[in-house]
Parts: sequence; C-alpha cells; structure tokens
Amino acid sequence: METEEEASGQMTDEIYTNGVDDESLSQQQQRRPIISGEQLDIEAYAALYTGRTKISRLIFIADKCGNVSMQLEALRMAYDEIKKGENTQLFREVVQKIDGRLGPNYSSDSGWMDAVDRRADQRKEKLENELNAYRTNLIKESIRMGYNDFGDFYYAHGALGDAFKNYVRTRDYCTTAKHIIHMCLNAILVSIEMGQFAHVTSYVSKAEQNKNDLDPITIAKLQCAAGLAHLEAKKYKHAARKFLETAPELGNNYSEVIAAQDVATYGGLCALAIIDNINFRNFLELVPEVRELIHNFYSSHYASCLEYLGNLKANLLLDIHLHDHVEMLYTQIRNKALIQYTHPFVSVDLNMMANAFKTTVAGLQKELEALITDNQIQARIDSHNKILYARHADQRKATFQRVLQTGIEFDRDVRGMLLRANLLKHDFNLKASRKI
Amino acid sequence: MDFSQLTDAMASRSYDKVADICDQLMLQIASQGVAFQDEWPYAVHLLGHIYLNDLNSARFLWKSVPLSIKESHPEVCAVWKIGQQLWIRNYAGVYDSIRSFNWSAEIQDFIASFSGKFLLTKKYTRRMLELLMSAYSTISIQDTALFLGMNENDATNYVMQQGWNVDAASQMLTVKKQVTVTEQKIDPSKLQRLTEYVFHLEH
Amino acid sequence: MNLNANSVDSLVAEIQGFSGSSQDVNHLNNLLKQSEDVIRSQAATFASCLTQLDPSIHSLGYLYILEACTAGPIPEAQANELVLSVVRFIDVCSVAQIRLVPDKFISICKRLHEQVMILGAPMRAVAPLLTAIRKIQPSSEHLTPLHPDFLQVCLLSKCYKTGYSILEDDVYEVDQPRDFFLYCYYGGMICIGQKRFAKALELFHNVVTAPMSSMNAIAVEAYKKYILVSLIHLRQFSATFPKYTSSVAQRNLKNFSQPYIELANSYSTGNISELEAFVVANQEKFENGNNLGLVKQVVSSMYKRNIQRLTQTYLTLSLQDIANTAQISTAKEAEMHVLEMIEDGEIYATINQKDGMVRFLEDPEEYKTCEMIEHIDSSISRIMKLSKKLTTMDESMACDPLYLSKVGRERQRFDFDDFDGVPQKFNL
Repeated sequence: METEEEASGQMTDEIYTNGVDDESLSQQQQRRPIISGEQLDIEAYAALYTGRTKISRLIFIADKCGNVSMQLEALRMAYDEIKKGENTQLFREVVQKIDGRLGPNYSSDSGWMDAVDRRADQRKEKLENELNAYRTNLIKESIRMGYNDFGDFYYAHGALGDAFKNYVRTRDYCTTAKHIIHMCLNAILVSIEMGQFAHVTSYVSKAEQNKNDLDPITIAKLQCAAGLAHLEAKKYKHAARKFLETAPELGNNYSEVIAAQDVATYGGLCALAIIDNINFRNFLELVPEVRELIHNFYSSHYASCLEYLGNLKANLLLDIHLHDHVEMLYTQIRNKALIQYTHPFVSVDLNMMANAFKTTVAGLQKELEALITDNQIQARIDSHNKILYARHADQRKATFQRVLQTGIEFDRDVRGMLLRANLLKHDFNLKASRKI
Repeated sequence: MDFSQLTDAMASRSYDKVADICDQLMLQIASQGVAFQDEWPYAVHLLGHIYLNDLNSARFLWKSVPLSIKESHPEVCAVWKIGQQLWIRNYAGVYDSIRSFNWSAEIQDFIASFSGKFLLTKKYTRRMLELLMSAYSTISIQDTALFLGMNENDATNYVMQQGWNVDAASQMLTVKKQVTVTEQKIDPSKLQRLTEYVFHLEH
Repeated sequence: MNLNANSVDSLVAEIQGFSGSSQDVNHLNNLLKQSEDVIRSQAATFASCLTQLDPSIHSLGYLYILEACTAGPIPEAQANELVLSVVRFIDVCSVAQIRLVPDKFISICKRLHEQVMILGAPMRAVAPLLTAIRKIQPSSEHLTPLHPDFLQVCLLSKCYKTGYSILEDDVYEVDQPRDFFLYCYYGGMICIGQKRFAKALELFHNVVTAPMSSMNAIAVEAYKKYILVSLIHLRQFSATFPKYTSSVAQRNLKNFSQPYIELANSYSTGNISELEAFVVANQEKFENGNNLGLVKQVVSSMYKRNIQRLTQTYLTLSLQDIANTAQISTAKEAEMHVLEMIEDGEIYATINQKDGMVRFLEDPEEYKTCEMIEHIDSSISRIMKLSKKLTTMDESMACDPLYLSKVGRERQRFDFDDFDGVPQKFNL
C-alpha cells in the first residue's frame, strides 16, 4: 500500500510533461479552426470535375447526403450536365430520382431523348460502315481509329462495357508507344467509372512500361489512377505513396477523374493514417483544412487535429471514392495519434489524455486496451489511479523465457520428428518386405 | 486381502502414503480376481487422494465405487462431499462438509489432520492460509474466517499472530506477505558444464 | 498315444533340464520351435503338465505351452482360470527367457486383455499388463503392442493415474502404426482426465501429423480432441497444419470436424454468450462425439482467457471492470475466477478487497535460483541427447539400403523433408 502511494506521488510530477500543459493549451485556443464544417458547396465542388465523373459524383452526393435541398441541388446540376451529353440512360435515372420535384423544366424530356437516340443510331451505323471499310483495306491506323471512335461513342452513351471492349481492341493496331498510352488511359478511365480497379492497376502498369514516351502530366495521371486503385483495395500505404508522388503538373488536367484537391485529401488522410513523414506542400495548399490538420497532428495538437477531422467528415462521406474508407482511415489516424501521444512518456495521466482526445477516461481506457492488446502500445493501465505506465521490457527475463520456451519446442519437435521418421521407416520396410 | 501396510501407515499417521498404498493394493487384489469392492476401505482411499489434493484421482475413484456401496456407506459419500467442494472450489464449503458428518473412529484423526483448529498441522487450513497470503493484499474478516473455517474472532486473532493488521472500521485485514528465503547452493560441476556450453557456442 | 505321452514327458524333461544358462535356454528354444506343432496339437495334454514346471525358472517352456493352450477358443467356464494363470506367469516369469519369443509373450497378454474385457473386469489386467510392458520392452523408448491395451483397461477401470505413469516415457521406437495411433489416442484421453493438457496436445498432435496414406477414424477423433484441448490449454487454436502433415489429413480432417472448427472460430471472438449459444445449438453433435464434457471445459476456459488478456493490458483493474470485460455476472464471481487462476499459477496478481481492485503483477521468477540453473542444465543435456539421437538416426537412414533404393526409385514422388531445419548447433 505504501509503495503504491509513493508511486502515485511521483506520477503527479511527471504528468506536467504530458504535452498538454498550460502553455500549449493557450496556443490551442488561438488556433481556432478555419474549418469548412459548413455544408458542401456543391457548385464549387462540381466545378472541379468534367465529364462523366462530374455526373457520377453529383448523383453520389444526392444518394448519400440525406438532405432534401442538397439532394435536389445535386440532381439539378446532374440533370443540366447530362443534357449537355448523349447519355439517355443516365438521363432517365436522374429524372426518376428527381421525380418531378424540380418543376416542369426538369422532367422527362422525351423529345430530347428521341433526338439523341436517333442521332446515336445514325452515328453508330456510320461508324460501323467506316470500320468495315478500314478492315477490308487492312489499314492498321484507320482500324485503330475506328475502334477508338467506337469506344468514344459507347462511352458517351454510357455503355461502359462496350466502350472498354472497343478501347482495348485498339491494342492490336497500336503502332507507337503513344498509341498504347492512349489506349491505356482510355481503358483506365472506363475502368474507374465501372469500379473495376483491378483493370486500372493492370493498365497503369502497362502504360508505365513505355517510360520514355510519358510526359509529366500523363505520369501524374497514372499515379492518381494507381492511387485510387490502391485506395479501393484498402492498401492505404500504397495509395498514400502514389498520391504523395503525384507531381504538381497534374493541375486540373485530369478533371474527368480526379481534382488536385482530391489528391491532397486522399493522399493526406491515407498518409496520416499509415506513413510517418508527409511532404507534399504543393497539393496541401489547395485544401487548407487537410494541411492544418496534418500540421496539428505533427505538432501534437491532437484535439485540434481531431476537431478538423470531425468537421470534415460529413463532406468526405459524400466523396465517391473516399466514402467507403473514411471510417477506417479515421480509426487508424486516431490510433496513430494515441500511440504517438503516449510514446515519449514513462507515465501518462489518463484524465489529461482523455481531455486531449476529447473523450472520457472510460472510453480512452477501452481504446488503449485494444492498442495494448494489439501490441501497438507497450504499456499497462493502472485503472485504479488512472495512469498509463510504459512497460519496460526486461531483456534478461525475456531472454530466459524465450530460451526455455525454445527448448521446450525443440524437445517436442525433435521427438515428433523421430517418431514420424520411425513410422515412415516402418511403412516402407513393410512395403518392401511385401514386395520381396 | 492384506491391509497391514495400510494399517501401519494409518497408525503412524503417514497420511501422505495412504493413496499410493491403496492404489497398489487395489490393482494387486483386482488382478487376483478377488471381488474386493464390498470390503474395500473406500472412505480412507478417497481421503488419501484428497489429502494430497489429487482431486482427479479422487473423482475417478468415486466414479468407480459401485452404486450399492454408495447407498450403504454414508461415510464414503461424506468423504466425497469434501472432494466435491474442493473440485468446485467452494473453499468454505469444504469446512461445512467436514463438520456436518459424524466421522467414524477409524478416520476421525485422518480428517482432523486435514483441517482443524491448530493450523500448522492441518493440511487444508494451512494451504488456505498460504493462498490468502499470496492472492490478497486486503481481505475482509468475514471472508478470512470462511477460508480458514473458523469464527471471525479466532480467524482475526490467528492472522494477527502472523503479522497481519486489522482495520476495525472497515472490518478489513491487511495481509502480510510471506518472505521465503531458500538456501542457494549449487553443485560447482553444473556451473562448470554451463560455462563449457557458453564457451562452445561462442567459439 | 504312447508316443505322444512319451514326447510330452521328454519335452517336459528337456524344459526342466535346459532352463539354466543362457546357452541352455537358447538350445531349448530351438528344440521347442521344432516341437511347436506337436505342442499346439496336443495343447490339452501339455496343459496338464504345467504343474510340473515352475514359471519363474522354466519360463520359456512354460510360455510355449501356455501360449498353445490359449491359442484356441476359450470356454467361458475356463476364462477365469486362464486369466489367473496368465497373471501369475507375467508376475514371476524370467525376463531373459520371455524376450527370446516376444511374440508368444505378447500373444498371451493379448488373450489376457481380451478375456478380462469379456469378463467385464478390466481392472484385473491393469497391474499385470504394466508388469508385462516393463518386462518385454527392450527399453522404455519402445512402444509395445501392449501399450494401447494397457491404456484402454486403465481408462475403463478409471485408473488414470496408473495409466499416466507410462506416458511419462518418451517413446520413439514403433513397430505398428496402429499401436501408435491407439497409444496416442488413449494416452491423450488419460492426460485429459489428469488435466495434463500439454501432454495430451502432444499426443493428439502426433496422431494428426503422423504419416498416413488413408484417413482413419482414430485420426479424426484425435483431431476433434486436439481442437478442444488446444482451446482449453492454449486458449486458441491454429487451423493450419504443420507442413509435414500428410496430405490426406490436411485435405480431410477439417471436413470431418466441422462443428469443432466452428467452435474454435466462435471461441476466438471472446464472446461467451455467443459461444454458449453455439454449444447449445450443437449439443447433440458434441454429445455423439463423446466430447460434451470437454466442450464444457472449453466454455469455462473462456472466462480465464478473457481475464488473462486483461493482465497484459492492466496494472490495476477493479473487480467490477473485470466482471464487465470478461462477461462475468458479479464482481464477487470475478474475484473467485481471479483467485482460482492465482491458485493455479496461471496469473500473478493480488486482490485488494478493500478497494475492490486487482493488481496484476509480472512473473516473479528471477531466473536466479539454483533450481532454475539445474533446470536449464538438465534441459540442455536432454536436448543434446535428442540431437545426437536425431543425427544417428539420420545417418543410419542414409545408409539403409531399403531407404536408398526407395529414394532412388521414387525421388520425385517421395520427399523426406522430415529432417528439414534441424539445428546442428546442439551437437556439442
């Protein structure tokens, strides 16, 4: 009993070295969040993208936001965007989702649809005739163009599977590395739309084989595509690497897939969850919230970092690619913060730590318990005094334990080996004697 | 059946030998094809295992006792009752089952050496005291009394002689840990051999 | 008939005359071998002259005749008498003499085993079979065909402790795989009864990983018990087989043990109510496999598993928190679980009733005592002996013409990777 009290007396001295002393608290208060916790500005968001991804992203927001006015806003913009293209099927879908709620201007425009479909039939017929002609004449380059046109045609009309097939078919008629890269980029684009990320990975590596013919922008595009594929596969470490490597030349050149802001957000969050050192200022400047939260993380202002993350969450959940990964990335970032917080200390006051992480002591205790069980933190919790103590490995004891354990295992394994060898010997002695 | 070895062991209070003697004897008699069950000293045999805290053997022996004997020999059942309490680790229940039976003259002394008032000579009570010392830093007077099978006064007095402290307000006892000093003496040839292993591994 | 009577008399005379020196006994063995058919055909006549022989002096001759007498079917009325004479013989026979004809000795012991089973008195064979094993074994490393019989009668007569006594020997020499399988299986069951779970695991593991070319029921039952004991003892189960496991076993065992595999999966979640529900739903399957008792032990080991995990995480924890985390209904019950684990040496902790707290401690072993040094010393010398044994075996195998011709013939098909990864370092 006495020794326990002595120990806890010492503790209170050390607690002040916990990083959350008075000074840093006041610093934290100055650093009031600039955060965009507000509702997503859909118009600004949509302006970052072009083509089909813009529509897909708007529809995704409409599906997930759970807020009628926001939903209608997204659908209205999607409707307008589709009207600029030729995808009547997607048009029908959106009209059905709007369900007359945006007035007569946003209803099923059958005149427009008929006209588009009619034009499509004509165009298809023309493309077929052309392609047949090229094929009979065996002009490689023309055949490639023919298939490519078909790919474009199907893509525009939303027949993604057919588009993919035609783009890939151009492969046999590619004569230069540029052609191959072009084919790969098309295949990647369609595959991303289809959610076929295994294809994305394979076409990215196919394109990257032609190193000498890749310009910086294409390289950046391929890195983004690869990053997305890794993200989908929950390989956050690889995803982070790819996004972090992406060169600033990307700019808004890949808006049919990804915005530069996304590179910052996706890359920043993945990196924060997994990797230690984040250095890609160029992109981070585009999303100050992410920049701030990463900065807070590394200067040990976890409460502020977590606050930023909390505020961003609703909007991140509306992102078509990030949606499925937000929870997992957040858990990992939080765990990393918890680990990093405890790392330098011999003992940590749980009340203070709970404060820094905006949680209760009981909740924190559960989180720490899981991390210790998982061997991510080497410490033990004094639940009575609410203090976390670092666990100092006793090398000598551990060595003895390991040696004795190894001895026991060796003993058991060798005996097993001898037995099995004897059984085998018996087995083939028997077979041999039967043969004789 | 020649019980002389067993009788000697009982007479000289070598109770730790009883289980082995009975086991051997039983197998020997069985191999001679003698129907021994009706005359077998099951109560003593069971208690022999329990005395050594070999509950597995006690339980298997109990399982092999013919039903007719279980029905006609209440003392055998009463001994097993003790084993059962130990098996389910009803620490206090052990004392109850000992007290609640009027033991025959034959085994009265055997039972008494297992548990009773004068701790140092009582196998089970001593074991319980050691358990309390290793497992508790503070424990209520009430629980201590249950574990030791005494009334609260006797229990308190006894553990205070062992150096424990009592907090009258909370009715709690603070346990005094036992410091055991064992003599450390090693055969020098063993050290020599270990040195050679290390030498061999390093060169 | 006269001739026969003569030959009986002369044989008895020879037995009496040549039971002295080892030379004599060898000579007698040759004579008896030549007369084997006569003895067998006239077993009844020979039986009557057993009274003229002393089993402790004329063991060899006595054994020939006794074996012949017990070879045929035994009428119920004579069973008891037969058992008694075999038991008497086992007790007093000369080790040197019976080892000349081990097959005959084993054969009469097998008859003994069979007869006590028919008589419903397995305990009668426990002591004799143990004596018989010790007498016929060239060394304690040899498994005899009597081992499984002995363990079986021990199980049936509930003499677990006696059965366990032979399991402490390290067995390497095996003649019949079937004996070995049964030895491990019965042995494992004895160990379970004695709560020697580590040894039980080792024995079941031996069965599961033994070389086999077709599936057998013993291996399946052993695997089920292996899963359960692994959960009870190690509080976890790894479903991956070591690479030396036969492919038949790797392919089939899991299919035959589905509810057990599922039980292990449920166990790994740490959720007691889920585990209990699973056990209730599958009770019949476990009951049919005669494993319900073990399954119940698995369930109660879950509390210990959960408490044990807490010791890795906490220095102090309230009894109430322990109860909550380990899904125990009251703090008092949690205290009893902790106490039980302290008593069994499974955790190091002290309970503070005043504050309702438990303080978990590190293993107090300092590895400084004489006992520890002696333990380490003996472990090292034991391991060195094992290593030498392994090397010797490796060498003798490498020189074995049968093995070499086999490896030469079937190099592609047969890979002797049993010897992979043997550290040579231990050969001092």
